[in-house]
Amino acid sequence: MAQIHYGDVTEGSDIPTLEKTPTTRTLVQWAGASGDFFELHYDKEFAKSMGFPNVLVHGRLEAAYLTQLLTDWIGPKGELKKISLQYRGNAFPGEKLLCKGKVTKKYVKDGQNLVEVEIWVENPAGQRITPGTAVVALPSK
Amino acid sequence: MAESKLATLDEVRAYIGRKIEESMEIDGTVIKSFCECIGDPNPIWKETAPPGLVTAAMISSGAMLIGVPLPYKRSVAGGADWEFLKPIKKGDKIFTSHEFAELQEKSSDKGPRALMVYKSTHKNQRGEVVAISTNTIMSY
Repeated sequence: MAQIHYGDVTEGSDIPTLEKTPTTRTLVQWAGASGDFFELHYDKEFAKSMGFPNVLVHGRLEAAYLTQLLTDWIGPKGELKKISLQYRGNAFPGEKLLCKGKVTKKYVKDGQNLVEVEIWVENPAGQRITPGTAVVALPSK
Repeated sequence: MAESKLATLDEVRAYIGRKIEESMEIDGTVIKSFCECIGDPNPIWKETAPPGLVTAAMISSGAMLIGVPLPYKRSVAGGADWEFLKPIKKGDKIFTSHEFAELQEKSSDKGPRALMVYKSTHKNQRGEVVAISTNTIMSY
């Protein structure tokens, strides 16, 4: 895996998109792997009783996808410091989700090369269903 | 959850400050199941857990075990923050303290809603804080 360095990053540049299509199988796997057994994510009747047309993709699974978007980008020597997300819309199993990001700011603080990015999960309708921000640290060359 | 009796906002507020502790061992299976589920083949996640592991419910949503009642019929996750302070390594034991930290009352044209904020502090077996999670549940 190529290592990106602080000097390679410019404000306004895009992070390589990560594509994910979680299926109902993924949701069951996530329930097991993450310990979230809330019925909203695997029982369609339950989801309907709560006013949703289908079971929902776990917001935390989307969060995990966004952490992967960032760790793929920053490489083994980069450090993910912080992410902050809002769950604004719902994702349903079978939908192709695009995890995207854009660099908003870079600065050196306490000897660390910090980069702030805007991140989001985009649904097939092009809506940013899970927008957020992140801070990463990148190595110098 | 939907079947339980709804609480008044005062009853919910009475839970502010209530805490619960839990712990879990991060073995190779935990890391492997997590990476397989999200589809992250990155070879560096062998001895080190991916930071995303902290987003897993067993690490950062045990806060629900505090048992704060819901004020309205429906609830969804509203948002979350995660600060990753130190890497979690295979073989670490993570001790988490969850706290029901805050209740925010909101209203919109769709009716009243409550934001229930939970804060979780995750420490390793050496007592080092490895991550801090904040999760907001919206009840409406």
